[in-house]
Amino acid sequence: MAKEFKVEPLKVWNDFKKYREQYYRDYLEAKDNGAVRWAGSAWAFDAVPAGLGEDVYPLTGEPYGATVAFFKDFSRRALEKAERAGVPRDLCGYLRNYWGSIMMDKYVLTDGTEVEPFPKPDFNYTIHICCTHAKWYHRAGELEGDVPTYAVDISVGPGYLLDDRKINYVVRQLEDSIKWMEQITGREYDDELLIKAVLAEADSMSTWAKICKLNQNIPAPLEEKSMFTLYALLVLHRADPRVAELYNKLYEETQDRVKRGIGAINNEQFRFLTDNPPPWAFLNVYRYLEKEYGAVSLGSVYTFGLEGAWLGMDEKGETWRWEPAPTPEEAGVEISNREDALRWTAEFNLRYRPGWQHPYSHKIRKIETLQMIKDWKADAMIMHLNRGCELWAMSELEVRDYLVKHNIPVATYEGNMADPREFDEARTWNVIDSFMESLGIKKLSKQ
Amino acid sequence: MGKKAEELPQYKQFAEWIENRHDYAKKWQQNNGGKVVGYLCTYVPEEILYAGGVLPVRILGSHEPESITRPYLHDMYCPFCHDCLAQGLEGRFDYLDGIMLAQSCLHLRQVFFTWEERVPVDWSYYMHFPHGVNNNHAAEYLKGELEKFKVAVEEWTGTTITNKELDDAIEVYNKNRQLMKQVYEFRKLENPPITGLHAMEMVISSQMVDKKEHNEVLESLLEDLKDAEVDRDTGTRLMIIGSEDDDREFFKMVEYEQNYSATFVFEEHCTGARYFWDEVRPEEDRLMAIAKRYVNRVPCPAKDWPTYGFYGRRRFNWIEKWVKEFNVDGAIIMQQKFCDPHELDIPSLRELLDNLNIPHLFLEFDITVPVGQFRTRVEAFLESIGEDDLFF
Amino acid sequence: MITAGIDVGSKYTKAVVLKNGAEIVGYANIRTGMDHEKSAREALEEALKAAGINRDQVDKIIATGFGKTSVPFADDEISQVVAAGKGGYFARPSTRTVIEVGAEESRGIKLAEDGKIRDFALADKCAAGAGSFTDAMARYLEVPLEEFGQLSLRSKGAAAMNAQCVIFAESEVVSLVHQNVPKEEISRAIHDAIADRVASIVRRVGIEDDVLVVGGLANDPGFIDSLKRELNTEVYLPEIIAPEYIPALGAALMEE
Repeated sequence: MAKEFKVEPLKVWNDFKKYREQYYRDYLEAKDNGAVRWAGSAWAFDAVPAGLGEDVYPLTGEPYGATVAFFKDFSRRALEKAERAGVPRDLCGYLRNYWGSIMMDKYVLTDGTEVEPFPKPDFNYTIHICCTHAKWYHRAGELEGDVPTYAVDISVGPGYLLDDRKINYVVRQLEDSIKWMEQITGREYDDELLIKAVLAEADSMSTWAKICKLNQNIPAPLEEKSMFTLYALLVLHRADPRVAELYNKLYEETQDRVKRGIGAINNEQFRFLTDNPPPWAFLNVYRYLEKEYGAVSLGSVYTFGLEGAWLGMDEKGETWRWEPAPTPEEAGVEISNREDALRWTAEFNLRYRPGWQHPYSHKIRKIETLQMIKDWKADAMIMHLNRGCELWAMSELEVRDYLVKHNIPVATYEGNMADPREFDEARTWNVIDSFMESLGIKKLSKQ
Repeated sequence: MGKKAEELPQYKQFAEWIENRHDYAKKWQQNNGGKVVGYLCTYVPEEILYAGGVLPVRILGSHEPESITRPYLHDMYCPFCHDCLAQGLEGRFDYLDGIMLAQSCLHLRQVFFTWEERVPVDWSYYMHFPHGVNNNHAAEYLKGELEKFKVAVEEWTGTTITNKELDDAIEVYNKNRQLMKQVYEFRKLENPPITGLHAMEMVISSQMVDKKEHNEVLESLLEDLKDAEVDRDTGTRLMIIGSEDDDREFFKMVEYEQNYSATFVFEEHCTGARYFWDEVRPEEDRLMAIAKRYVNRVPCPAKDWPTYGFYGRRRFNWIEKWVKEFNVDGAIIMQQKFCDPHELDIPSLRELLDNLNIPHLFLEFDITVPVGQFRTRVEAFLESIGEDDLFF
Repeated sequence: MITAGIDVGSKYTKAVVLKNGAEIVGYANIRTGMDHEKSAREALEEALKAAGINRDQVDKIIATGFGKTSVPFADDEISQVVAAGKGGYFARPSTRTVIEVGAEESRGIKLAEDGKIRDFALADKCAAGAGSFTDAMARYLEVPLEEFGQLSLRSKGAAAMNAQCVIFAESEVVSLVHQNVPKEEISRAIHDAIADRVASIVRRVGIEDDVLVVGGLANDPGFIDSLKRELNTEVYLPEIIAPEYIPALGAALMEE
């Protein structure tokens, strides 16, 4: 019989939800007050446009694509609209929702309200790491009617192989991008705001890592499905000081939960990790595992590594360290001008962001994942073979093979993070039941 | 009159080189005592390998169905990358001394990492390479990577690559590019003495043999082309645009086996013009010269996107130019299934061709090309272009 | 003790009646209708009739298959993977790899020496690697299904076909027909393509001898022939019962 743990709702929950709601509204209404709005990847250097003023509102594409995916009907219309215009079905799921939304000229808010027209940005600003990002916003800019686009190439390899020339490559592009933004918006750039944003960014990202680390406790104070809501602010606007503040609040609360033995679920008997963006329209996968099996998802290289800042690979590229990366304050670094700030944000992101380490080998992701299983005391891995994102799907099968060779049980189910048509509920339950049965884990109802 | 164009011996030579690519490489190893490196994407700076006495050969697929790559590669990764990996896993490249990749699309990267781990090979090299080739700082970044690469080749081969050797390699490579461009000039003629099939075989074979040897054949071909007798009807002048596509069956069908006359006068893909169009412009800093060549070449869509003040696609400027210079009547967009970088360009590409008044046909192919099905579609396409002519 | 396993598949419902977890005393196979419960009941009744056993003598009924949840009279249910693994191990204890190919799905299951499941992989959603594809193709070629496999064995050559996707595969078959390729060769090409597809999934768990093939498509000699060639190893069929009954047998073994 599974042990019973105390559970409690999170106090900060509503603050996080409210921020997200307001974020999409702020972007929508920005033009009423002559503010600046920009769109781009959730991985864009969020701190850099902040120097354009206090009234700068971003719209990040991946979370927006996920929001669209969550509203199955809107998503279906958006996807079909894109497909009818010749957009191939196997492209990034977020991108197809995003393009489709522009093509329908409709924007969806977090409560499902549909607004017309699609609020186009003053400029698109992104990074490019997978095969998609820059081209996503390039085409979006064309669809929106010649909205200018700037993409920062960050394909300089994993953090532990960085050198000055590579860092400079990224810094020079960021410098150029500031000049470009000034031209586009006609605004004068404020370095003080940049510095403030860079500090907030580091704070948000490192604090998130600290929060994730607390899930090593038994019972886990958080479960991944809730973490999808909690990590969202990082992908929306991590360089906003208000976001950093919310993460600090969440960190305090989670520490308190650990101290008092509060669990995320009351019947934790099985701990597992996942590895990819989930099928957003079918988060009931997590509820099913929880309710039927007392299985708690502790997190993933995705949830922890998309926006968390971790030390990561050591200098030799042999050991992965799941330790939160230092903020400028913790590292004793003073940031006093534009050059410092750009260098810091470039290096911090390139070095400490796990999601940016993956496309350069299979090895990194294998070592990283196995270390996570050990550190978070997980019993198994449940992988989402995600047809919606080639970057996160990269190395997945090699990691699977590696884990199996290390005697870690692995189950895989197919799906698509952002195309609800590519997920088969019955098949997925079948995989889960087969997996749990094969491990000898009985349903709670049969115990 | 000269020789019959279709019977030129150089065309046979190109085809033979392709068919016997593995034997060629093995013999080259024996005869030269040198190393052979297989590469997975045309962004590899071959000049540096060649200067080090290494023969770079391109790894291409075999267009045969296989069932051995799915434990490692997702289904939604392109058939080409599956096919390449299958070649390695099946041991067809077991003679390679090394493999390498200059950072390209995610699909080929995965092939490289799995190959490196699962196919025994003495040396492997992953070159970091800018994706933002349209930005001003890319060549500087690349130059740093070329420096590291040169040292790695030197350490592996136990040699020092001198400036003289680099100059020689650049010369051989540039010459190959110039000669192939001269052959392409003949494709501008009203009745080109070279079909797309032979032109593509020329380019593919150049990726598989010693360029010096290839240059000799190209020179003699250029002589023969001057007065070659064309005894086929050129028909509709087609251009092929798209992803990696070295399947020759499709070319044979379109140019030789269907009901309407048609000739490819240009191939835009990476076993065509994208591979060889640009030369290294010599400068004192050799590695910078090479870096600039690879940054400035006709880009693969994987690397072609906006940056500071540039909102277009550099590749499209080339396509527009080629369409006009080669007097193209229609374009076939040949799309490798699941090739994202190309897919991402396709809506805009269709718009471009529409604006240029160039009719286009979109075909998506898998590891094999469904020739029968495509024949029907190509014939319908050619018929519709013919009908248009009636009204103009 | 009498146990019964019922496998409600997408095409057929199979039932196996087992005595003392060791002896198969009856089995039956009927077409799955719209009403799964009814199909399950009928299959069970037929199997019991064959065994000469009354319904009230059955100690336990275990359901499996895609319709396992719609058998309210079952005492328990068991997943397809575990059922096929158990059944396969019982039928041939030296089995380390079970390949199951049903009408809509195929999967590979890796067994430990004691029969426990070490790993498994399910075919991706694309359906080119399952039994219903042969049904459709046999119909298209106007060949009775029973002869379709034999046809493949008589083929002198092999036309290459790429069946990573069922849509592509179908259009390739159409091309082959138009090119007047003999039906034998087309049948062989189809079987090769399915075997190719199945093998690529099973390879995810690794092929370890002995390999046992179960599920309805295992009855197709053309498929078995292609699969042997593709895997380049001997593959076995269960001897104690026809291959399509193995998951139902595994379900009946659950109490063991």
